[in-house]
Amino acid sequence: MIQTGVISTAHGDLVTDASYDFYGLRLATCSLDQRIKLWQLDESNGNWELEDDWKAHDAAVSKISWAHPEFGNIIASASFDRTVKVWEQTSGIGMPEPQQPVQANGSGSNASTSRWIERAVLPEARGTVRAVEFAPHHFGLKLASISSDNHLRIYECLEQPSLTTWQLSEETDIQALPLSPSASPFTRAQQTNALATPTQTSSSLDGASAPLIAQALQQGLQQSSSTSQQRPGLGNREADGGWCISWCKDRYWGELIAAGAGTSGVIKIIQLMPSNRPITLLTLDPSPAVEGAVVPVDPDAGGPSSSAITSVSWAPSCGRSYHLIATGGRDGHVRIWRVKPGEEVEDDMAADSEDGQWSASIVADFENHKSAVGRVEWNITGTVLSSAGNDGRIRLWKATSGNVWRPAGSIGVEQSEQQENENPAERDIDME
Amino acid sequence: MSGVFTLKPPLVQKPEDLLAAGQSLSATPSPLDNSLAVFTTPASSSQSARRPPDEEQPVYFAGSDAVPSYERRLFITDTLVIFAAFQNLLKTSRSKDPEWIHNERNLTVMRKLAIDYVNFIKECWIHASQPAPRPDGPLQYSADHYRSLYTCFSLFVVLYLPEPGYEEAPVGEELMEWLNIHFIEPSTEEGDHLSSLKNPWEDETFWPYLTRATLRGLSKASVFFLKMLSGHPSEDLQHLAETMASIISSQPRLQNFTAERDFAYASRRWKDKVKALRVEMEQVLEADRFDDFDNWWDRFSDIVGILEGRAEIVQRVCEELGADWKEVCAAWGVFVDARFRRQDIPDVVDRILDEMPPDPTNVEDMVHTALFTGKAVDALAHASQLDRWLAAHLADIMEPLSLISVDSQDEIPVRDLHVLAYAEYLHSDPALWRITVDYMFSCGDVGKERGDEVLVRVPLRLNDKSATAPVEGEGRIRAGNVVGVLKDVNQTCFDYQREGARRTICRIAAQTLVHEKNYGLAVSYCSSAEDWQGLGRIVDRVLDEYITSGPARFAQYASDIAPSLQNLNIRHPSSSAVFVHRLMFAVRYSNFQQLRIKHELQSAALDLVAMFRDDVVPKSWWAVTLYDAVELLQYRSALLFSAAGAAELLAKLEEIFVRTSQGSGGDYLDILARTIAGGGYKEALDRLKTVRLALARYFARSAVLSI
Repeated sequence: MIQTGVISTAHGDLVTDASYDFYGLRLATCSLDQRIKLWQLDESNGNWELEDDWKAHDAAVSKISWAHPEFGNIIASASFDRTVKVWEQTSGIGMPEPQQPVQANGSGSNASTSRWIERAVLPEARGTVRAVEFAPHHFGLKLASISSDNHLRIYECLEQPSLTTWQLSEETDIQALPLSPSASPFTRAQQTNALATPTQTSSSLDGASAPLIAQALQQGLQQSSSTSQQRPGLGNREADGGWCISWCKDRYWGELIAAGAGTSGVIKIIQLMPSNRPITLLTLDPSPAVEGAVVPVDPDAGGPSSSAITSVSWAPSCGRSYHLIATGGRDGHVRIWRVKPGEEVEDDMAADSEDGQWSASIVADFENHKSAVGRVEWNITGTVLSSAGNDGRIRLWKATSGNVWRPAGSIGVEQSEQQENENPAERDIDME
Repeated sequence: MSGVFTLKPPLVQKPEDLLAAGQSLSATPSPLDNSLAVFTTPASSSQSARRPPDEEQPVYFAGSDAVPSYERRLFITDTLVIFAAFQNLLKTSRSKDPEWIHNERNLTVMRKLAIDYVNFIKECWIHASQPAPRPDGPLQYSADHYRSLYTCFSLFVVLYLPEPGYEEAPVGEELMEWLNIHFIEPSTEEGDHLSSLKNPWEDETFWPYLTRATLRGLSKASVFFLKMLSGHPSEDLQHLAETMASIISSQPRLQNFTAERDFAYASRRWKDKVKALRVEMEQVLEADRFDDFDNWWDRFSDIVGILEGRAEIVQRVCEELGADWKEVCAAWGVFVDARFRRQDIPDVVDRILDEMPPDPTNVEDMVHTALFTGKAVDALAHASQLDRWLAAHLADIMEPLSLISVDSQDEIPVRDLHVLAYAEYLHSDPALWRITVDYMFSCGDVGKERGDEVLVRVPLRLNDKSATAPVEGEGRIRAGNVVGVLKDVNQTCFDYQREGARRTICRIAAQTLVHEKNYGLAVSYCSSAEDWQGLGRIVDRVLDEYITSGPARFAQYASDIAPSLQNLNIRHPSSSAVFVHRLMFAVRYSNFQQLRIKHELQSAALDLVAMFRDDVVPKSWWAVTLYDAVELLQYRSALLFSAAGAAELLAKLEEIFVRTSQGSGGDYLDILARTIAGGGYKEALDRLKTVRLALARYFARSAVLSI
């Protein structure tokens, strides 16, 4: 490993997310300080220069995502203020045409101060929006969001040049989707309907033990108290809500998204269809593989979320016949799932044919973080997985020959022994 | 990889301190290279009882590999040339003949290319060994590193790429030559030291030196010192040494024989002479076997034992001399079994290794071991620890030689695995993207698609005016030339037939060009990507220019896209009609605007009517186009429209009024309304009323004038 740079004062508070643009030449960061910052790499010296900086939301920004560059310079941000916002960079950078007036499209009120202009606010979420991600470009300009109200929302941009009109094309309760795929598409649809009825709202916690529910309530109050006040009937379910999403990057299988919600510790692979309700193709449930039924409890979790999967990342399939999906969560595990798509089978055949079903197996399961895992993410070729844990470490994982996944290094920010010996004076950089 | 890489400046004393402050680390991988952005984030699942300090938070950047430095880059780019030649050979030969690998000429070329690698590594090693000043910074890899690559690659050539026709020939001498080139023993200094002595046998290094020289087949050195023994007090030894000198200098060498049979025969005859020497030795009386320093007889006997090819003596002597298994193996081929063949090596080496195990901490030695024992896959695994370059290039040659399997249980064959690992290392330097994808595209589907991911992310720098002088860059784009990187990337896509990647790149380029209002080039990229929707969007943008910038600028932009329309019709006759239709309108409408600007009003009027007649005007543009007619209708000097033409305009105009009254005004009036500052449909209709008035007057004028 080698350090290639540092932005010593990036944000005035902890950074909640950072996301590179398509080329890796720009980095968008967002923070508890409610701001989004855009950094540009100066390739001549490797320094990152601040390109833009604006207050984006009325609460902490939770996540940031870049649209594919074929749509322009567009980012979406998700926030604790329950909105997703879409931002576009106006033709500013280094471009001639000074005689061109800035188009006052949408709510570009801050056009004079910022080159990034707010194009749309998507206010439908009824809780903290925890994640937002643009769909792969071949599906058009679309984005998905997931929030603590348990809902997965898909928005589609209807007017591309202006970016102002976004249609909520899908809104689905993750918990209400059936947990495991049933063999026949017919029964699957039935289940979906049954669980989606309002009378079944507490079904998500049916499996959880009583103390877990109590804790869930506690944390629910803590995390999204205002939300639960608004929707008192749904208090239990909002305790943890939706955590994470990741699109399948492949075009072949249609629009698929992996989503994690609640404390069940499972990730659902959801298929989105234009004229139908979304269905769960597959559930990634590690529990049968875990020996015994003991749920490891994170000492500092202080809550019910000890098995919640809070991060998921779908690797680009890059020519493989199977998918790799990485998950990380409160149980301290980094898992890599190998997901095998079902064979193409006619609908009526699928009812009694195993071939039509998607299947998954765990190909790697690491507990090295020994504490909650906050993030997992693949590199562009799906060959290196990075994970981040509460142990204050970034860990890298790589497949070695025979498809065995192994640790490939770790990164920390503590004082190394060498440094300590070199310049003890620097110790006062410490926190507090 | 052990240990933790720590970023600077440090934030905490111990990693646990982060969590105590409600913090944690998080990271996101960069698409540009193999680096990560690392930042401090709220701890996952933390109760956040203690609010994190309100202080400036850093973002760190760390890469998994050091970017190749000057000398390493040279190594990478120059060996690519050999790699490319090898790929070319495979491509052309495989297509011609499925049995190509058995063709002697192909094997000769393969061997030559492999030797090219060896020679190139050797040059790098020599270059790195020189204590010359290094203006380009210190070496990234030591001379010893290149030496390791040199020993491994040359051993591979000796063992697996013999000269065609010599596959079945004895290999001992070649192995010994390899050993002597790379692991020089006994040292020249020892030789110089001994030769300076009057009675060298009195020196304790004399006999070990002589034994090692003999073992290594260094006949000249052996003979030289045996001759010096003519001054030894023992007459027996004087005599024996003389005999031995003649035996050693007459040892048959394979290269001096045209047929192996003759060589084998000569070797047997020679062995007989060694036996005679042994007999002679045995006749020396026990008492005469000592000089003042040593039991010369025992020492002499060891050397005879080596010449006799007695395996146990070779092995014991090697151990005593501190030589390793490689030396035993090479000596085996020279002395123990003069007809030692390549296929015999693994068995013999296994036996030797049982007693003289390799050094597991020495990766280079492990590569040698695996190569000697015929374990190609293991050799690659060790080689990749030494340098991913080595594993990739060995694997690339191993596959056609059928040393490693083409199939794999995990969809990525062994060769591709190593080539891709090397390519991934190359990706640590974005500037090496061409080489990175060259290696990726030499692989199967998995590698090719990874190559696509890298290729589509090569920054196109279309709006990077800093790289070139702004005027020059602008000029080049305006001239319709694809600039710099985009051209390169496009060409690479063509070369490797990566149509999907190419289309993605074209779409991105088109988007960027639209952003820059370079509509002409944008259209050509869109059509190149067959992205008809994108084409539609560009035309919309150009038409938008009419609204936002007025007719003059619109006409200019539209004339940029006009040439593309002609190309489109020729190249994609069936291309999606709707978008082309819109494009056609844009072009014709801009022609019309240009005629107006140039005051060629008669032509403009004809054009206007023709557009309606040919039905190229979209409904949404009827109102705008009709409003443009007012000026022409009111032209005093002449009547520009025919009666039929004017009637046509009137018909369209009335249709708008009728439809608007039916509630579909939006379809017709939207764009006209947008051209009126602060205007709505009502204002648009007012304008159309002026068109109606102009038409009425026009009919009146023409009625009067035509009478």
